[in-house]
Amino acid sequence: MNKQIRASIATLAVAILTAACGSANPAASPAASVAATPATPVTLQFASFAWQKATVDAHNKIVSDWNAAHPNITVKIVTVDVNSVHDKLLTTFQGGTAADIVHDESADIGGFSGQGFLADLTPLIPAELKSDIPQGIWDTVTFGGKITGVPTILQTYSVFVNKKMLGDANITLPTAASPWTWDKFAEVSKQLTTGDRFGVGWGLKSPAATVMSMSLNFNGLFFYNEGGKNVVKFGPAEQQVLKRIYSLAYTDKSLSPTTLGQSGPEILPGFFAGKYAMIVGGNYVAQQMVEQAPAGFDWAMLPLLKGDTQAQSANPQTLSISTQSKNPKEAMQFIAYYMQANNLASVAIGDWLIPVSTSAGKAVTTITGGKNSWDVNVASAPSLKIAPFQTLDAYAQWKTQIAQPGFQQYLANKIDLATLGTQLIDGWTKVGGK
Amino acid sequence: MSVAVATRGGASMRRLRAGPLFFLLPALIPVVLFSVLPLAQGIYLGFTDAKAGINVDLAPNWLDNYTRLLSNDLFWQSFQIGIIWAVTTTFLQYILGLGLAILMEQRLRFLWIVRILALVPWAIPPVIVAIMWRLVYQPDIGLLNQALRGIGVPIGELNWLADFNTAFPAVIVVGAWAGMAQTTVALTAGLKGIPVELHEAAASDGATAWQRFRHITWPQLRPVTDAIVSLNFIWNFNSFGLVYVLTEGGPGGKTMVPALFAYNEGFKYGHFGYAAAMGNVMVIVVLALLYIYLRSGRRGVE
Amino acid sequence: MIHRRSRRATVLQYVALLGFIAFLSFPLLWMLSTSFKGPRELVALIPSLIPVAPTLENYGTAFSEQDLVQSARNSLQLSLGNAILTVLVALPAAYGLARYATILRRLTMGWILVSQIFPLILIIIPLFLILKTLHLLDSLSGLLIVYLVWSLPFTLWMLQTYVKAIPLELEEAASIDGAGRLRILRSIILPLLAPGIVVAALFAFISGWNEFFFALVVLQSPEHATLPLTLARFIGAEGVVRLGPLAAASLVATLPSLVFFAIIQRHLRSGLLAGGVKG
Repeated sequence: MNKQIRASIATLAVAILTAACGSANPAASPAASVAATPATPVTLQFASFAWQKATVDAHNKIVSDWNAAHPNITVKIVTVDVNSVHDKLLTTFQGGTAADIVHDESADIGGFSGQGFLADLTPLIPAELKSDIPQGIWDTVTFGGKITGVPTILQTYSVFVNKKMLGDANITLPTAASPWTWDKFAEVSKQLTTGDRFGVGWGLKSPAATVMSMSLNFNGLFFYNEGGKNVVKFGPAEQQVLKRIYSLAYTDKSLSPTTLGQSGPEILPGFFAGKYAMIVGGNYVAQQMVEQAPAGFDWAMLPLLKGDTQAQSANPQTLSISTQSKNPKEAMQFIAYYMQANNLASVAIGDWLIPVSTSAGKAVTTITGGKNSWDVNVASAPSLKIAPFQTLDAYAQWKTQIAQPGFQQYLANKIDLATLGTQLIDGWTKVGGK
Repeated sequence: MSVAVATRGGASMRRLRAGPLFFLLPALIPVVLFSVLPLAQGIYLGFTDAKAGINVDLAPNWLDNYTRLLSNDLFWQSFQIGIIWAVTTTFLQYILGLGLAILMEQRLRFLWIVRILALVPWAIPPVIVAIMWRLVYQPDIGLLNQALRGIGVPIGELNWLADFNTAFPAVIVVGAWAGMAQTTVALTAGLKGIPVELHEAAASDGATAWQRFRHITWPQLRPVTDAIVSLNFIWNFNSFGLVYVLTEGGPGGKTMVPALFAYNEGFKYGHFGYAAAMGNVMVIVVLALLYIYLRSGRRGVE
Repeated sequence: MIHRRSRRATVLQYVALLGFIAFLSFPLLWMLSTSFKGPRELVALIPSLIPVAPTLENYGTAFSEQDLVQSARNSLQLSLGNAILTVLVALPAAYGLARYATILRRLTMGWILVSQIFPLILIIIPLFLILKTLHLLDSLSGLLIVYLVWSLPFTLWMLQTYVKAIPLELEEAASIDGAGRLRILRSIILPLLAPGIVVAALFAFISGWNEFFFALVVLQSPEHATLPLTLARFIGAEGVVRLGPLAAASLVATLPSLVFFAIIQRHLRSGLLAGGVKG
C-alpha cells in the first residue's frame, strides 16, 4: 500500500507540475509563463496594419499559437489599411472604440501619446524585454518621460548595387568593417556613369523622411534645444546630405534626374533594365529585388553609407496599448509573447525589415542564413538611433507643410540653399513650433 | 420659365395640400440624424479651439480661428489652387460630358460600345483610377510618354507629376477624366427630356445643327447644366483623394488643394477646430461663387 | 433626331467617337492586361499590351488571399440597397420639392449645398459618435443608412431638375380629364422621369460600391469588409503596389457597375417608356 500511495502521490505531483507549466513554451521568457490566468475570459483586440502576405501569416500564427496556449486570453486581429492607419486610429480613439493593442509607428505615436490615447507602458514592460532592445531605440518610443509603445521592426536607407556593373568596372564592394563614405559613393557613382547609363538612381519624390534621417550621418540634427525652446538651425551639418544629393544630380550628373521625381518602387524598372548601376532606397526594397528582378540579376545591399558616422534615425513600428483598454496587463503579456525572438523574427522577415531586439536579430540570421543581404541588413541595426525631431509635437506639421515642399524645391533646383534655410527656420515659427 | 408655371398651376393643385410634408417625411429623420446633426457639429467646431485628445475640453473662441486663417498664407495658396482646379476641371468635365452625350444621340454605328465605356471612369474605384493614371504618367514606363515617343515627340523622360510646371495640369486632366461620366449620364438624361418635335420643327424650317443647338438644346439643358456644373464644382473643389494618391499635394505644394490642406490640419495635426474653420470658409466662398454663377445664368436665359 | 447631315459631319462624328473610345477604354485594357502578368513582367521597361508570359496566379492570389467574394457580396448588398432606397425616398421628395414652392425647398437646397461643400472628412468623427450611440457601428445596415443620407443631396437636386423640366400643363391636362393624382404620377410623370431615375439609381449604386472612407471608419470585422477596403489590401506602404492581384481584383470590382448600368438602362427603357413620348 505504501508503494501504491507513494506512486499515486508522485503521479499527482507530476500531474500538477505538468499542468502548471504545461502550456508554457520552453523558449518563452519567464514573464510569459508566470502569466496569471485571469478569473474571467478576456478578449483582446489587436489592430494591425500588416499587409504583406508573409507578415499576415506570421501574425496569424503568433495569434493562434497564443490563443491555443492561453484559453482565457483570446486575441482577435483587426486588420487596418496600411495607408489609413492614422485616420482609423484617430477615429477609434476619439470615438472610444479603440482596440486594446494598437500597431503603429514611432513617428506617429508621439501625437497620440500627447493626446492621451496611449497607456504608459513603463511599469508593464518585462525586464528581459527591456534589456533585449538598445536604449537608443527605447528613446524613440518615450514621450514626456513615458514609454508608450514597444518597438518591433525598422528600416534603413541603403544602397543597392547591380553587382555585374560594378564588377565590370572593377569596383570592389564595401564591407561592414570599411563601409563607403559619401565621398567614395560619389566617386563610384561618377565612375559608373557612362553615355547610356547613370551611376545612381534615387527615388526622392518625397525627400523629407530620407533627408532628415540620413542627415544624422553628419550630425545634422536640424532641431536644437536652446533655453527650453526648440529652434531650427540650418548649418553646415544640416546642409551636407542635401548638398551632396544636389551635386550628384547637377554637378557630377551621375544621379538620374528622372528618378528625383519618382518614388522608391517606381525607379525599379529602370534599375532592372540597367539604366542606373546603383539605387538608394529603403532596405525593404530587397523584397522587390527577390520577387521582381529578372532572372540572373545579381544584386547586393551595401552596408550603410558613412558620413561622420553611419547613424540614421530609427522609426520602428510599434505596439501600444490604448488607455481605453480594460486589460492592459494581459495586452502586455501578448506583446511580450509577440516580441519573443522567433516570433519577432518571422514578422521581420515577412516585412523585410530589421527586428529591434538582439535576440530576434540573431534568429533572423539563423532562419535566413544571411542570404539576400539579410546579413548586411541585421548588421545595420546598431547604427539606428533617435533624432531630436522625433519627439517634437509640431514636427508632423513642419515636415508636411514646410520641409517636404522646401526639399522638393531645392532638389528640383528651384530655390537655393540659403532660401531653403530661411524657409525651414521661419516655417517652424509659422507652425507654432516650440 | 418653370417658376412662372409653378405659380400658375399652384391654384388648381392646392387641394392636395398635404403634399409637401408627406412627400418628404421618409427622408427627414435619417437626414437629420446622420447629416444635419454631424454637419451642425462640424460647423460649430469651427468656432472653438477643439483639438484631438482624450477628455479634451473644448471652448468656443468665436472668431479667433478666422483671424488666424486670414494670415495663413499657405491656406490661401491652397485655396487659390483649389479654385483654379475646380473651375478648370469642371469646365473640362462639362465639355467632354456634353460632347459625349450629344454624340450618343446621333445615329452612328458602334455607339453601344461608347455607351458602356462612358461609365468606365465612374465604375472604377477612385483609388484605382489614381494608381492607374500615376502609372500612365510615369516618365519611363508610362503609357503617355511611350505613346508620345512612339509618334516621334522628343519627350525625353518628362515626369508629368513631379515637374513643377506640368504637375497641376496633369492632375487636372485626371480630375476631368474621373468626373466626366456622371456629367455625361446627367446630360444624357437631360437631352432625352427635350421634345423631338422641337428639333424636327426647326429642322424643317431650315435651321442648321449649330442653330438648333444654340436655340433649342442649350436653353432646354440650362437647368440640368446649372445643377451638374454646380455639383461638379463643389465636388471638384472638395476632392482630395485623387490628388493625394497622385502627388500628395506636391511637388513643392503645387497641387495642395484646400480639402487636402484641411484634412492634414484636422487629422494629421489634430487641430479639429482650426480645420473646421477652414471648412466654414470654404462653404462661404463656394456658396458665393455659385450664387454669382447661377445669378448670371438666369439673367442670360431671359 | 437629326435627319440630314453632311458627310463631313459624319466623318467628324466618327473621329470623335474613336477618340472617346480610346480615351475611355485604355484603363480597362490596362487592367485586363496587367491582371495576367506575373511580377517580373510588371517591372518591364517597355510594357506590352499582350502579356509575354500570361498567368492566372493574380486571380488566384486575389481570390484566395482576401475574401474577395464575401466583400463583393457585401458591396452588392449595400449598393443595390442604396440604389433602391435612394430612388424610393428621393423620387417623391424631389417631386414635392419641385412642384411646391415652400420654405422647405429653400431649407433643403441650403442643406444640399452645405452638406456637399463642407469637407466630409471633418464631420467623420461627429458622425462616428452618433453611429456609436445608436449601436450602428461595424454593421452593414448602419453603413447603408449613412450612404442613403449622403446620396440624397445629388439625387434630390438632379431629380428635382428633371421634374421641373416636365411641363405642369401635362399634369393639369390629365387632371382636367379626370385622372386621379396617383394615376397621373404613375402613367405620365414616371415614364418621363425614367432617364432621371437611371441617373439617381446609378449614382446611388456606384456611390455605395466605390465608397471607401466611411466604410473604413465604420466597419471593423473582416466579414463586413466591402470591396474598396479589400482592394486597398493590395496597396502597401511606401508606394509599393501589388499591381497584378490589384488589377485582377479591380476588374472584379469594376464590372458589376457596368452590368448594373446596362440592366437598368434596358429595363427602364422598355418598361416605363410605354407612352413613347420621347426617343
